[in-house]
Amino acid sequence: MTENKQLDANGISKYFKDKFKTNIKKVEIKKRTAGSKKNEFVNIWMKVDKSVFKDVIKHLCDLQFPHLAVVSGNDLGKTIELIYHFSLYYGTRLGEISLNISVDLPKSNPTIETICDYIPGALITEREKQEMLGIKIEGIPDNRRLFLPDDFPKGVYPWRKDEKGMEKMIRNLHEVKK
Amino acid sequence: MRFSMLPKVFAQMFKKPWTNKFPAKYIPPSTTKFFEDVGAGKAKIIPAVETPEGFRGKIQYDKEKCTGCKLCLRVCPSGAIEFKEKEKKIKIYLARCTFCSQCNDVCPSNCLSMGNEFLLADADIYSKDLIVE
Amino acid sequence: MKEKTTSKTTYQLPIGPIHPALKEPVMFEFEIDGERIVDVDVSLGHVHRAIEWTGMRRNSIQIIYLAERICGICSISHPMAFIRAVENAVDIEVPERAEYLRVIQCELERICSHILWAGVAAHEIGFDTVLFLTWQMREKVLDLTEYLTGNRITKAILTIGGVRRDITKDHHPKIFETLNYLKDNFDKLRHIFLDDKTFQLRSQGCGILRYEDALKLCAVGPTTRASGVKKDVRVDQSYAAYGDLDIKHITPDLLTGQVNGDVYDRIIVRLLEIKQSVELIEKAIDQMPSGDLVSEPKILKILATIKKTNGEGVGRAEAPRGEVIHYVKFNGESEHPYTWKVRAPTYNNILPWIPMLKGEQIADIPIVAASTDPCISCTNRVAVIDGNNNYELNKEELHRLSVEKTRRLMK
Repeated sequence: MTENKQLDANGISKYFKDKFKTNIKKVEIKKRTAGSKKNEFVNIWMKVDKSVFKDVIKHLCDLQFPHLAVVSGNDLGKTIELIYHFSLYYGTRLGEISLNISVDLPKSNPTIETICDYIPGALITEREKQEMLGIKIEGIPDNRRLFLPDDFPKGVYPWRKDEKGMEKMIRNLHEVKK
Repeated sequence: MRFSMLPKVFAQMFKKPWTNKFPAKYIPPSTTKFFEDVGAGKAKIIPAVETPEGFRGKIQYDKEKCTGCKLCLRVCPSGAIEFKEKEKKIKIYLARCTFCSQCNDVCPSNCLSMGNEFLLADADIYSKDLIVE
Repeated sequence: MKEKTTSKTTYQLPIGPIHPALKEPVMFEFEIDGERIVDVDVSLGHVHRAIEWTGMRRNSIQIIYLAERICGICSISHPMAFIRAVENAVDIEVPERAEYLRVIQCELERICSHILWAGVAAHEIGFDTVLFLTWQMREKVLDLTEYLTGNRITKAILTIGGVRRDITKDHHPKIFETLNYLKDNFDKLRHIFLDDKTFQLRSQGCGILRYEDALKLCAVGPTTRASGVKKDVRVDQSYAAYGDLDIKHITPDLLTGQVNGDVYDRIIVRLLEIKQSVELIEKAIDQMPSGDLVSEPKILKILATIKKTNGEGVGRAEAPRGEVIHYVKFNGESEHPYTWKVRAPTYNNILPWIPMLKGEQIADIPIVAASTDPCISCTNRVAVIDGNNNYELNKEELHRLSVEKTRRLMK
């Protein structure tokens, strides 16, 4: 953990853009205020290319050891979008920055590298994404299911909105005998 | 101190219990029979703790005021409200009600309000007491 | 974690999913050497309720009440995080007065939860008189909650863009009466928990989570603060009115001057947070500006705006157990969210159990497991329920089954 000088939202955006150029596809900074003193809170939404994803996480760890809240996922039709919700600079009064890094995976090959080697706490959420979205996490230290029971039918992923989703299964519960 | 809880325990021995023994000091063999006796004046009931102002109890429905706009059906989180097409009035199944009073907030004609009644347990979810219409 | 180190000297001990020491269904598989724990594996998913899946078929107003039921104790924190996510996605400004009212409700919930936890922790080490003392205190707070919101547990007080009930001058006497009662009894509680020999013997040096582990395993809430990681959404972010109020991270060194990261430290953090919450409520009532309660009183207008929104939002809130985060995505076609992801605090506090439990004794399992204040129902949410078996048993059927079983046993 290197304790560098704290960057602001634009600084973080520049930091990644300088390193990864066009592989950072989109950066959006959203600021909102709260309370009567109108203190600001910053949300950064960043879309990165799959090829540099692991490197982005590595550079993120160089800033400050980030807190990974959770990985959430969207089924966007042709692709599956994973969003890693980090928070940076926690521990300072009103200094936290919420960084949401999203990465698109094609449905034909939904694989992504694990980040457990940098952030061991990502294991639970990566295991959940595997079973819920039907993606494959390469190099995950523990490949078992997390929430779904072991006898849950293979090839059914609850968060998918296509033919691999649960709609069919829920309509025909008598067939799967679950 | 080694046993800091002991003084408190001894003090408690001479205090009245915190619990309000509702409806009777000892559990009656049959609750229904007990309430029948209370109704006939044969037994005495220990009153329940009073509900505070603004308590969310059994829903009160003023059927006359209802215009049948169906807004409550859209916001009810548990789908406890059924619309009677013929009468253009609603029917609320309390067995599903979550007592959030969202329907009271959304109602444009103010025909719904939360009452004080909370003794709503019943073995039959379709019993007369659990349906408001 | 995965590979078992089985040799002739160790044996396996499964605890759970249903076990008297655990209050909620979770499964531990221990590798035991004599009395010492060598390895732990945790498996989850016994109380899946498919809440996110259900939520994606409901509109945002309905989800508030569904979110409330993710956890009985965090029935403000989950709606709070969800509402913040929606407000961020749709860009709704919240009136200032509502922000203060939200703080008061959140802190009341924190007091309830921490006192309840203190009781459960006492119960786990077999000190049941303290359990009853704490629940007596909690009852007072619940009475106040009922007085302010109309419900004891599922308060149904928050709504998108504000709160649903005001706190007026008429409410003040009862609020201050309860707060004064809490302040009077707080010292008693602190004395019992921190000075009693029984507690010290059982909790000091037990279930240690080191600073590095807490950081790397992304622990949240009092669990991580007891290990010295300063992470508290209320302090770090400007949300509700916390940005206006003077609030600090609570770490055990405030009281003892050092951070050990053991169960005792987690007790300290929670007890100090009760005191902090009482002070926060007082400050919030004092500084509360006048104004509107909601930004848009017409619920249908909010739903119509949501229906037109194409965007995503993240909402974080500090629940009694740690950070809650909700992610919501709307696709501009329906008022139901396209995606709704809930992350409860215990989700992140599962992995820290492993370093905490390793090397401990069997008798310490309940208190170490309870020291993170686990809320398993919060953590498990997505699943398919029902199936071949008919779960809807009515009274007659249950009675018939019981009679049958008794007859069978009497044969």
